[in-house]
Amino acid sequence: MTNRVAPTIPARAGVGLKPQHYRQILDDKPDIGFFEVHAENYMGAGGPPHRWLEAVRERHPLSLHGVGLSIGADRPLDSAHLQRLKALVERYEPGLFSEHLAWSSHGEAFLNDLLPLPYTEETLARVCEHADETQTIVGRRLLLENPSTYVIFAESTIPETEFLAEVVRRTGCGLLLDISNVVVSATNHGYDAAGYLARFPVAAVDEIHLGGFAIGEDDDRHPLVIDDHGSAIDPAAWRLCADALGRIGPAPVLIEWDNDVPEWPVLFGEARKADRLLREVRHAAAA
Amino acid sequence: MNRRSANIALASSLLAAFALMSVPATAQDSGKEKCFGVALKGQNDCAAGAGTTCAGTSKVDYQGNAWKYVPKGTCTTMKLPGDRMGSLEALARDVPKA
Amino acid sequence: MLPLRERQRAFAAALTDPELPVPTGVLGRNGRCDVRRFAVYRNNVTAGLVTALGDRFPVVRRLVGDPFFAAMARAYVAGHKPASPLLIEYGSSFPDFIAAFPPAAEVPYLADVARLEAAWTEAFHAAEASPLDPRAVPVEDLEETVLKLHPSLRLIRSPYPIGTIWAAHQGEAEPQPPAAWEPEELLVVRPDAEVLVHRLPAGGVAFAADLAAGVPLGAATAAACAAVPGFDLPYNLSGLFRSGAVIGFTRQEARP
Repeated sequence: MTNRVAPTIPARAGVGLKPQHYRQILDDKPDIGFFEVHAENYMGAGGPPHRWLEAVRERHPLSLHGVGLSIGADRPLDSAHLQRLKALVERYEPGLFSEHLAWSSHGEAFLNDLLPLPYTEETLARVCEHADETQTIVGRRLLLENPSTYVIFAESTIPETEFLAEVVRRTGCGLLLDISNVVVSATNHGYDAAGYLARFPVAAVDEIHLGGFAIGEDDDRHPLVIDDHGSAIDPAAWRLCADALGRIGPAPVLIEWDNDVPEWPVLFGEARKADRLLREVRHAAAA
Repeated sequence: MNRRSANIALASSLLAAFALMSVPATAQDSGKEKCFGVALKGQNDCAAGAGTTCAGTSKVDYQGNAWKYVPKGTCTTMKLPGDRMGSLEALARDVPKA
Repeated sequence: MLPLRERQRAFAAALTDPELPVPTGVLGRNGRCDVRRFAVYRNNVTAGLVTALGDRFPVVRRLVGDPFFAAMARAYVAGHKPASPLLIEYGSSFPDFIAAFPPAAEVPYLADVARLEAAWTEAFHAAEASPLDPRAVPVEDLEETVLKLHPSLRLIRSPYPIGTIWAAHQGEAEPQPPAAWEPEELLVVRPDAEVLVHRLPAGGVAFAADLAAGVPLGAATAAACAAVPGFDLPYNLSGLFRSGAVIGFTRQEARP
């Protein structure tokens, strides 16, 4: 523990840590802001994943990103899972801890996808209750991530940005602004991404995500953008990211690449691009 | 053999077994790869699956009808010889003599 | 207005049953129901779990080929959703499913190979523990000594040479069939960073299973010798130590 760098995550670029890059990251000692991991992949009792993660954590700050808590589920949170998250936070001292505005468990089953929520007063109350419980048990401020969605619900009455702002107001949690999710949802539902961002409660944003997406078509031949994290960041997402950073100020920016993971230099190249963008934002603010 | 002499035989065979253990089971790993272990891909992530638009649309594809498939991997060269398709008799016949 | 509970029940039901229509009130653009959009979620669930199984059971996948494996995995996924968000644990009952899956019957050793692969990943993620140097065990009253075995230890016995088949699939080379179709007893353990698969002599699995269950050395040895004539105690016991499977010992109080 004593050999670790400080947990604080700088307003720099980081990347999602992939096992195929462990070796090279330890050998190259890249100049990078931080790494982020999906919490559930490090919930085994022991073994190589923990050995690698500890070695990376000694050299770099870490962000812990949960993908399985199901904060938006109607059913109660899984208390065993909350305890596992708490144990990971205590073990690795992540600088940031985040989860999704989504649900993924129903009844006894884990459905292994981040499923969309109807935005109603009932859902709002449930999400706030679960965010409170998470922050209390894990003992850390939670960052809640805006989702990428392919459908909407007839019963929704609250715009997503207002919904998120209200969760922040009621629970004191922060937000993880996923720029690519904004592009994906805006394209899929036919609204303006810049307008969404203008309404986003940016004061609560402590981290930004950028990931690749794939473009298909829906039944009506409208573009249907799939958030597959399987390619380089799209120029539209970079532009929106520059706009967001202009409003928010410098913040940690994470590159997500989970499918068709490239060689390390390609992924690191995306991070350097984000670092250049952050420098431009700083210069613009200073001017 | 009565119980007492059986015990003596056991004790001496255990002693003999321990006496034969010369190599202590200490980690003699060299190199970092062995020290950290295999870097297996994590299974949980927050991305949509690759090629997601079409794979889920076909009901047949989604449900999977394995009855129409025949195993066609390396098992085609790993066939059990003769008629010994895992019956209990074959098993008994295959137990090596002690 | 549809309560959240009802919404999620209907959504989850349609996700996992492709015969059901897209639930009412789930809309695409222009307020219309859109099958392709809902299919993204359907596919994420199924494709994600099929991929997870393929990654956990790579030798089973090679043995039967990708199309058969994908079909068998989909059939499993349809009836076996993960019970927890930890996908590292998903598929523990896949070997039993394979054993009862009629299309796989012509590969009778397939389920046992799957058991070995499941054991391998369990050992991979098991708790850490340091192997014990046998010289630390006092040789007095060995019969009453209870060995503590490694938390990663898994034992498998098969009527087929599944360890040999598994090992033949570890490299890129075209796997060769086993020279001898005989039963195999296997010990899987991760004493340090690497998961090791050892073949045990006859009776070795029952002996190690007794020790793992807390049976003292004397009683375990007596049982092994009774079950397998000519049970090779030195080989089995030193093998357990040399593989790193023993991590401690206690002394059982002598019985009156």
